[in-house]
Amino acid sequence: MKKPVLILISFALLCVLVFLSACGKDTAENNPTAGLTKVAEGYAAGAAAKVELYTKETTLTSGYTRFYVALYDSVSGNRIDEAHISLTPMMDMGSMTHSAPYENPVSENAEKHLFPCSVTFIMSSMGGSWTLKLNVHNHLNNKEGSLTLPLTISEPVKSRQKSFTASHNGAKYFISLITPSAANSKVGINDFEIAIYKKASMMSWPADSSLTVSLTPEMPTMGHGSPNNVDPVHTGKGHYKGKVNFTMTGLWRLNLDFMSGGSVADTTQYFDVEF
Amino acid sequence: MKKIIPFLFILHSLTGRTQTGFSDSSRYIELKEVTVPVKNGSSRQQLVRFVRTGQAASLEDIMSRIPELNLLRRGSYGMEPSIRSLSSGQINVLIDGMRIHGACTDKMDPPTIYIEPVNLDRMEVQTGNHGFLHGSAIGGSINLAVASPSCHAVSKISGLFSSGYQSAAQAFYESLQLNYAGPRWSLLGSITGRKAAAYRSGGGDKVAFSQYEKINYSLSAIYQYNPQTRIKLDFIGDNGWNISYPALPMDVGYAAAGIASVSLEKENPLKKITRWRVKAYANQVRHYMDDTHRPNVPMHMDMPGKSQTAGLYSDGEIRLNSRQQIRFTADLSLTYLKASMTMYQTGQLPMYMLTWPDNRKDQAGAGASWQWQADSNWSLRATARIDLVNYTLRSQEAKDHISILGFPDAARSGFLKNISFGATRRISPVLKTNASIGWAERMPTASEYYGFYLFNAQDGYDYIGNPDLRPEQSLLGELNMTVQGKKAEFKLGGFYQYIRRYIMGRINTSYSSMTIGANGVKTWEALPYAILTGIEASLVWKPVDEVSLISTLRYTYGKTNKGEALPMIAPLKNLSALRYQPGRVFLQAETEQASRQQRYSLAYGEDATAAYTLLHVRSGYSFSLWQKKTDLQAGIENILDKKYHEHTDWGNIPRPGRNFYMQLLMRF
Ligand SMILES: [Cu+2]
Repeated sequence: MKKPVLILISFALLCVLVFLSACGKDTAENNPTAGLTKVAEGYAAGAAAKVELYTKETTLTSGYTRFYVALYDSVSGNRIDEAHISLTPMMDMGSMTHSAPYENPVSENAEKHLFPCSVTFIMSSMGGSWTLKLNVHNHLNNKEGSLTLPLTISEPVKSRQKSFTASHNGAKYFISLITPSAANSKVGINDFEIAIYKKASMMSWPADSSLTVSLTPEMPTMGHGSPNNVDPVHTGKGHYKGKVNFTMTGLWRLNLDFMSGGSVADTTQYFDVEF
Repeated sequence: MKKIIPFLFILHSLTGRTQTGFSDSSRYIELKEVTVPVKNGSSRQQLVRFVRTGQAASLEDIMSRIPELNLLRRGSYGMEPSIRSLSSGQINVLIDGMRIHGACTDKMDPPTIYIEPVNLDRMEVQTGNHGFLHGSAIGGSINLAVASPSCHAVSKISGLFSSGYQSAAQAFYESLQLNYAGPRWSLLGSITGRKAAAYRSGGGDKVAFSQYEKINYSLSAIYQYNPQTRIKLDFIGDNGWNISYPALPMDVGYAAAGIASVSLEKENPLKKITRWRVKAYANQVRHYMDDTHRPNVPMHMDMPGKSQTAGLYSDGEIRLNSRQQIRFTADLSLTYLKASMTMYQTGQLPMYMLTWPDNRKDQAGAGASWQWQADSNWSLRATARIDLVNYTLRSQEAKDHISILGFPDAARSGFLKNISFGATRRISPVLKTNASIGWAERMPTASEYYGFYLFNAQDGYDYIGNPDLRPEQSLLGELNMTVQGKKAEFKLGGFYQYIRRYIMGRINTSYSSMTIGANGVKTWEALPYAILTGIEASLVWKPVDEVSLISTLRYTYGKTNKGEALPMIAPLKNLSALRYQPGRVFLQAETEQASRQQRYSLAYGEDATAAYTLLHVRSGYSFSLWQKKTDLQAGIENILDKKYHEHTDWGNIPRPGRNFYMQLLMRF
């Protein structure tokens, strides 16, 4: 009469073991930087923090670039999930320097141990050298420090970054294609997102929400467009979201017209996507 | 294009088959050698003898001679049948009761191309009010009943060899059929090859891109379990290549079809269920369309397609008593379709899209037709059928395509109801009339629901599917009259059909055409209604035993709710044949006439079609070779070498000019 009980218990134990080992595996797979590429790292000395910089892409190219910052205590190696990070991108062209549009992490609390932020590299490293300065205020020890990381920005196969001088006010606008990309495009309805920045000075590149955008995709090789696209509208911080429909694979040109109220800002810009 | 024509077509009505006196617009075109005893010399029964022809003719030739049928022609191959100007999803085209869907988005491959007349037992054309028994359709049915092995053959092994040639397309036709008749098992196998070069049209010009080559093979086996029960296995294979369509911008590099079925058949005239059959079947069609060989193509394009159908059906007949009988059917089928297009531009990634986003149509239906011979003067018939149809897109990729059109959820289902009543009255020994009325519905096709930029070469528009379509509905009234004399039979019929939610392409200016050079985009939309009305008449006259005359006349008038002409409607047409057969030799003269068609659909890219008159002569000689009957036939079609085209021919491509043909049929 005892044997069945023993078997049952050992079976239950086995189940628990399997469950635990599966759980362990799960946490290993829950590595927050899985699938991301580390593009730079260093120490923010004053904040006693190690800084690691990640992106989804394997190489950095000019245009809107989303970064994921991971912070570690420089002594214990433990993750720092509460910090205040601010960015300063800088381009040194020898004769002059200028900054670029950027987005600091929205929260001082990490999102899955990472602090998402962005920099829009308005040109590649062909014309000079890019650096990204991160100022870190470590909320765990209330210390502050910074570091500057050099970055190499190459030119993408299809440009994701355009600029124009608006005809209605003479200001210079910088347009970045965030999505779709060759990697995430499909035949069907695709999310469309751009970010618009205005150049206020060499050091100030604020997000712009004053323009209205209309989107007209076409296949330049065939001369046709696609139906039922949704013009991008401003959703905050210079980001405009809409929908672009691809009726087939191949090379698509996403024509963009920009209006400011009733007057034309620019009608010459486009992004090419080939998938 | 006309192939070798049967030396006389026959219009053999249902009345002759069931002998119950029902007279309506169904036709059973017997194509095998029929051994109906010639009894009392009535014109119809005498004419049954003429049926034993046609093995060397193509099915399209036979169809073109049936008054209710028209052929939509895009090339000399793959003409699409239409019944009283309704086609495609509006009619059922079945092979031995099986559903089969073409794999071509451009309708290059109607199911009729898979049946060689040598494999055909009979063609059942059911127009009008009883044409939906085997599938919800508003325009009727064509069923191609496939030949069975002959179990009672005199010799164990028998066969038929036929060979033909025709000059206009320098076309060759070779066919071999072998029959084995054993005590339990019997087998029938056939192989047929056709090869046609680009044909010469009237006046002598070659019509480029009109050639084709194909091979068709079939095997049928019967196991006779007991005198009433048999098991039947059927396979038909068909491979075509180098097929060109002068009216289309694309050709077919390769097309293949495989059609297989197994059935159990029971027949016992003494039982209540006199005939019963259950059949399981599957078929697959592959179609590779491209424009590699066309000149001046801006961009090379491949358009492969695939269709797969599996189904199960059962049908039979119940004799309630000597005066009442019921034909019933129950069936279900699954049809999967997928077609894509890839275009190539050097230096760029290929451009790929689904033209038929992969989809499946599931269908289940049941129907019955009740016939009652009330007394010697009255007979009644009622037919009803219901169908449940469900369409689904089968992949995320397909759903993504259709979501562009504004349909995130494009699965559709329908419940279709069909019902009809008919009455036949014998007014006098020579005069019979028949009247019927019916309601029928049909589901939109996969192209009409989900077609994705399908180019129509006739009107030059890209067509876009519309999942918002609802079933097309039809109310049809029909009147027929038969005068049956001792030496002549005259039939006259008229019909009036009101089609609600008639599905037609409408220009959609908010879309830009995909095909380079297209005029724009059309979306399938439902007109509030359309009207089709017409008359059909036929005369069979046999003044003396050696001479017979057949003449058919048809006219159809179609209009939209706005009074505009419907597309693809043939004008007034007459076909007449006079045959003289003193003995082993026969001579036949034929005329084929069509009036000018001035009512045409401008919206569908049509124009007026000129009238024409054609003259054909045919001759034949039968003799015994090794104690078997051998036939030698020869003739000239379009003797006047008239350059002409029919109104239902796409692109006004001229038809073949003067064509000399000969054929040999040897039995052994
Ligand atoms: Cu095709």
